[in-house]
Amino acid sequence: MKNTYLWLAQLVAGILVAVTLSIHMVWMHLDTILGALGIDIKEPTSWTSMLARSREIIWATLYIALLTFGLYHALYGLRNVIFELAKSPIARRVVTWTILTLGILALAWGTYVPIVLLRS
Amino acid sequence: MKQIQPRRKNSLGLIGWVWGGNYKIERYLYTLHRATGLGLLLFCLIHLSVTTFFRLQQSSWETAMAILHNPWFKLGEYLVVLAFAYHSLNGLRLIIQELGFGMGKPTPPVYPYRDSLRKNRRWSMALVGTAAIIALVFLYDFMSGG
Repeated sequence: MKNTYLWLAQLVAGILVAVTLSIHMVWMHLDTILGALGIDIKEPTSWTSMLARSREIIWATLYIALLTFGLYHALYGLRNVIFELAKSPIARRVVTWTILTLGILALAWGTYVPIVLLRS
Repeated sequence: MKQIQPRRKNSLGLIGWVWGGNYKIERYLYTLHRATGLGLLLFCLIHLSVTTFFRLQQSSWETAMAILHNPWFKLGEYLVVLAFAYHSLNGLRLIIQELGFGMGKPTPPVYPYRDSLRKNRRWSMALVGTAAIIALVFLYDFMSGG
């Protein structure tokens, strides 16, 4: 039963990643087309643009949400792939705890930086 | 209770990723889904490191961005966009079909047998078409310096 809920969360996280990452991709990479549509993004990767975005709560929220859903979706997917190859219960437990630790560390660091920049 | 054992171990391991046997295009779409997923995970971890460690100082950020504007890195970024477009659209197709939508009505099993995925391939075709359109839109923007 637990695995059913984890799998359902995987599907929901996948949809949420698709939405949040699409916003990020369009904003960062479609600046020419957005410019033609009247939405002026001045060099999205420049220091001033990045800092301006970092100080807006909506962008910080989007990045943290993207990171949370993305890490869950990607690391749970990776665990499933490894589980197909690693059959022993001990190996599976090691894989689960390694992935969980990696995910928590990445989430903590990736959340800390936007919050620090939001306050700067 | 005694369980019936399969005659052959039903696990090909990594070989099963490459060779889909009697399965058709959907099997290879799934293999590509996995490959793009693992690629995106690797990129995600690198991207997270670059955009957090170098974000704390202006000089290090500008140095990192100057390196990333190299044409080879731009090509790599475009491949990431393609992988994301494909992975998300194929994932959406898999979710829709896993939940039982778009599979068509059940029919009697008349030889030659056709599974419901192959009878209703419109979702796969829609996926490929939409991914191609997204790829072209992003290609235009990348080519024009985006």
